[in-house]
Amino acid sequence: MLGNGIILECRDLRKTYGDRVAVNGVSFSIRRGETYGLLGPNGAGKTTTISMICGLLERDGGTVVVDGKPMSPSAVDAKAVIGYVPQDLAIYPDLSARENLRFFGQLYGLSGKTLSARVDEVLEVIGLADRANDRADSFSGGMKRRLNIGIGMLHSPRLLVLDEPTVGVDPQSRNAILDTVDTLGGQGIAVLYTTQYMEEAERLCDRVGIIDEGRLKAEGTRRELVALVGQRDRIALSAQGDLEATARAVSALDGVEQVNRHEGGLDLFVKDARRMLPQLLSTVANAGASVSAVEVVEPNLEAVFLHLTGKALRD
Amino acid sequence: MKALAIAATGVRRLFRDRQAAFFTFVFPLIMIVLIGIAFGDEDTARLGVVAVDSGQLGEELVSALEQTEGLEIRRFDNEDDWREAIERGEVEAGVLIPPGYDSQLHSGGQVDLPFLLRPDGLGDTLWLPVQATVEQQAELIRAALFAQSERGISFDDALAQATELRQNLPQVTVNFTIAGEPERALGRFDTGVAQQLLLFMFLTSLSASDHLILSRQLGVSRRMLSTPTAVRSIVFGETLGRFAVAMIQGLFIVLASIVLFGVDWGDPVAAGVIVVLFALVGTGAGMLLGTLLKTPQQAAAIGVFLGLGLAALGGCMVPLEVFPETMRKVAHITPHAWALDAFGMLLRRHGTLADIRPEMVLLAAYAALLLFAATWRFRRSIAG
Repeated sequence: MLGNGIILECRDLRKTYGDRVAVNGVSFSIRRGETYGLLGPNGAGKTTTISMICGLLERDGGTVVVDGKPMSPSAVDAKAVIGYVPQDLAIYPDLSARENLRFFGQLYGLSGKTLSARVDEVLEVIGLADRANDRADSFSGGMKRRLNIGIGMLHSPRLLVLDEPTVGVDPQSRNAILDTVDTLGGQGIAVLYTTQYMEEAERLCDRVGIIDEGRLKAEGTRRELVALVGQRDRIALSAQGDLEATARAVSALDGVEQVNRHEGGLDLFVKDARRMLPQLLSTVANAGASVSAVEVVEPNLEAVFLHLTGKALRD
Repeated sequence: MKALAIAATGVRRLFRDRQAAFFTFVFPLIMIVLIGIAFGDEDTARLGVVAVDSGQLGEELVSALEQTEGLEIRRFDNEDDWREAIERGEVEAGVLIPPGYDSQLHSGGQVDLPFLLRPDGLGDTLWLPVQATVEQQAELIRAALFAQSERGISFDDALAQATELRQNLPQVTVNFTIAGEPERALGRFDTGVAQQLLLFMFLTSLSASDHLILSRQLGVSRRMLSTPTAVRSIVFGETLGRFAVAMIQGLFIVLASIVLFGVDWGDPVAAGVIVVLFALVGTGAGMLLGTLLKTPQQAAAIGVFLGLGLAALGGCMVPLEVFPETMRKVAHITPHAWALDAFGMLLRRHGTLADIRPEMVLLAAYAALLLFAATWRFRRSIAG
């Protein structure tokens, strides 16, 4: 493993196709157990970046080190650390779920009872145990996606790389996939997750890298990214009572930057709504107002992306 | 080990497809049967014989017919069964030795032997050997009758003496000398079996190229590369899978033709070497096609076109011997023609490995060239 618990370190990754620069100096690292999101629109360079990370593509420049091992298309040791889940449904449709898992399990170096046990475990995790012996081409799109993910988890990788795993998936299956990824993050597996959906990055990722036109525009936690663009949280309070006195009381709180009073309540702009919400509600109650509803609106990554690139995520 | 897993999956996927399995295993056998029936010659022709209550002379005639080279005798208990067997083609022709045959001849009477044959002309060729065998017995009977009348001895004694005397008479022997190398007579199903073997092995190999394209389209080949599996193992595994399919099919056709139809392939080692080399040729051609084409539909269409076209050109549909000299030379741009030459040497001329050395070298060269080009392109297609 690299220093500071870092399992993946990419430095100055570059890839060019003819005159088109697909990836231009991308650098980031992922710690053990961390879920890192690569957020960007179609054509931003996400798939090319992870193709170089997984040793599927020769780099024109830069370095990739996985668990202390340099990655390249021939680096078998480094590839053993990674579980790769491609955007395409890279499964054999004419084989059953179990046969697909066994096949790729063998390629990951599993055999005998270990292979059988891992296949059974993964079938349970992806919710296909009762359809294990059915051909993959009889599955729904969501089930195929889950099988696609399951293959990447077979050998208990230390780093799972998922390339837009929810593209074209119905909402129910999407939730199941996100829950699975969430669980993996909780089990200490590092996850590199590419997506063009801001909500997924916000829900799953400890840190997010925003990528566009082959460049990593910014990276950090959601809060750090939001801070980059200087936006604040908004708290909408529906309240009755002495709103004038309440407004004065909350204005005095540390972290409250602006208070607007209107009929039926207050709108507050604060630095960190989640952190100060208990103190705020206590202050409102002491000021003699009764709260009937609270809505917290945090600036999202969509806004950050817009700020950084001048365009929306799905332009 | 990983290469074996890839190969085994390739074989499993191909044979799981029922249509592919039918065209791989069943259809070639059907073609061998049809061609054998339509064009095949047999060493022995079947002659149906009824000899009920025909006496000792009747049995002696049957025995003489059984010893006639090229005749296989099948006996029937009654005329109805005998006639039906001829009509159904179970035998090519038949002779009916009537009841009382022996007593009629003893008394110097004349006996007619009905000879029945099918209208397809196959029985015509039996007339001469049957007539010759009957004539041999008739000569003895005529001699016995003559001695009986001249010397007043019994017919049986006269017949015994005539039989003994004939063995001491000078024989006129006709010696055959075949110009060129003698050819082994082929059985009914030996005809065309090598052609069908090569045609279907090559056709299956080319058609299976769509699996390679589908794996690439689905991203499975690329995903294999993301696993800790060396590129050379992936390439070797895919190649091995296709070779295994070609070998399974080739060996199945060879063994089935031996067990079901009694085909004699000649030297088994030499025949095995040709099957292996041609399987390698088919593997290389199929993989190359799979790396050159973009869609499974293209592979299916072009695979069938090339498979049948090259087979026709190479002599798998019409024997090379029928081709004009120029066309025969052109035919030898295909590996089929060289493999057919080799099988011809084994099937017809009792050839051995040493006799088919030039064909083996050429087939090995075809295989090496195609496999090199195919694996190079396949490696590039998955690993860039």
